[in-house]
Amino acid sequence: MSELWEVLSEHFPELSSGFWVTVRLVLISFAIAMVVGTAVAALRIAPLRPLNWIGGVYVEVFRNTPLLVLLFISFAGLRRAGVPIDAWVAGTASLGLYTAAYVAEALRSGVFAVGKGQIEASLSLGLDYPRTMRYVILPQAFRTVIPHLGSLTIAMIKNSAIVGVSLLALPDLLHQARLVNSRTFATNETFFWAAAGYLMLTLLATVAVRRLEARYAIHR
Amino acid sequence: MTSVKLWRVLFALALAIAALAVAACGDDDDDDDGGNGGGGDQTAEVKQFPAGSTLGKIQDRGEITIGVKYDVPPFGFKNPQSGEIEGFDVDMGKIVAEELGVEPKFVEAISDNRIPFLQQGEVDLILSTMTINQERDTEIEFSEPYYIARGRILVPGDSDIKGIDDLAGKRVCTALGSTYEETLREQAPDADLKLVDTYSECLELLQNGAIDAISTDDVILTGMIIQDDSLKMVGDELTTEPYGAGIKEGEKEFQQFVSDTFAAAERDGRWGDIYQEWVGQYLNKKAQPPEMTLQEALALG
Repeated sequence: MSELWEVLSEHFPELSSGFWVTVRLVLISFAIAMVVGTAVAALRIAPLRPLNWIGGVYVEVFRNTPLLVLLFISFAGLRRAGVPIDAWVAGTASLGLYTAAYVAEALRSGVFAVGKGQIEASLSLGLDYPRTMRYVILPQAFRTVIPHLGSLTIAMIKNSAIVGVSLLALPDLLHQARLVNSRTFATNETFFWAAAGYLMLTLLATVAVRRLEARYAIHR
Repeated sequence: MTSVKLWRVLFALALAIAALAVAACGDDDDDDDGGNGGGGDQTAEVKQFPAGSTLGKIQDRGEITIGVKYDVPPFGFKNPQSGEIEGFDVDMGKIVAEELGVEPKFVEAISDNRIPFLQQGEVDLILSTMTINQERDTEIEFSEPYYIARGRILVPGDSDIKGIDDLAGKRVCTALGSTYEETLREQAPDADLKLVDTYSECLELLQNGAIDAISTDDVILTGMIIQDDSLKMVGDELTTEPYGAGIKEGEKEFQQFVSDTFAAAERDGRWGDIYQEWVGQYLNKKAQPPEMTLQEALALG
């Protein structure tokens, strides 16, 4: 028990710096996932076949590729091809674009939950398609899928650890925990704190989603 | 109709997967045969250890599991042509197996997992370019040093880094869990350390320009230059890295046996042959078995 506190107090600088790197990684990736995910969802439900097709290809490519493979391609692959991409850009883009595919699917299901009649009504009232989406459909769709987006966010927080163990060598929470472990050999104690760090973030996300749900969610 | 078609497709897919699985197993078998080949022709008498002892159990099993690196030429690496595991560490492991009268079985052990492997009994012996130090000595037993490596820096041919003092602000790669993590923190505190799992990842990063230098043992860096001759080694010898075999904590008889085996190999020329094959011909240095003792190695840090 005392060893548990010893590991934390002696290696707090490393572990806390790793925690903040994870927070940054998660926040940036989350922003990318939401923006790109919304855009892709809009493509998938647009009243134009080629756009649907582009959105579909995006979802299938990013949803059916392991995140670790995306990381290798976006970092080692692009650099070999002469694109001097930075580890941070490769890491956040991979995690963000990967999660965006799931966000797009979640939103699409939310859009289908909004009655077809509303789209027809909105269009017949003279709103064009982008405006119909922006003011009528997407706000309702978002509210329907809040719980689903919450699960995706939690999954993304945990997936951020994959970025940490990849060859990008970003010093995130897991990376720093492995560093501490390699010096102390206190495996159980070190990874207990790593798990606690991820739990803090996922619980925070859970609470945030609950609040949003209580305020906005539509129960059908 | 369509459902029949679907079943056919699924069946074909299952067959393909099964075929792949069988092919993969076949490969594994080949590897094992390759690894075992070395200890094949045993000469007469082998010392038998009591049945209850760790060494006796290994002799009963007829096989010793040895953790080596798979990506660190010329110490432990998979020969791309034959698929066999080869290198200095591998040959030292074969000598230990031979002296025990058992077959060696090699498994991959990277810097970060090799000590847990020993502690959990996944391997009997570690021969993976492991530097003897006090921190590790509290977790495992070390044999007497069987090789002395020196810490150096590897950079691209056109780099302006000339030594450790030029590393400030540069991105430097080494393996997570290696002694260089500490060495670099002390000797190049302003370097931006990139810690990855394996040295092959460091090499990938150096070749694709994501880092500026790699720091680790000269022999490992020599192996990289053999793979890519556009790279060069710079700077003075940063550190002295005596390599020792790792044995589970408390196994004193095993520890003594490995040290005795290495000492015998150093005396009768087997060590010299291994040195010449894997290091001597590249470094242009004469075989010189390490004179440093385990106590002296531990005194280094």
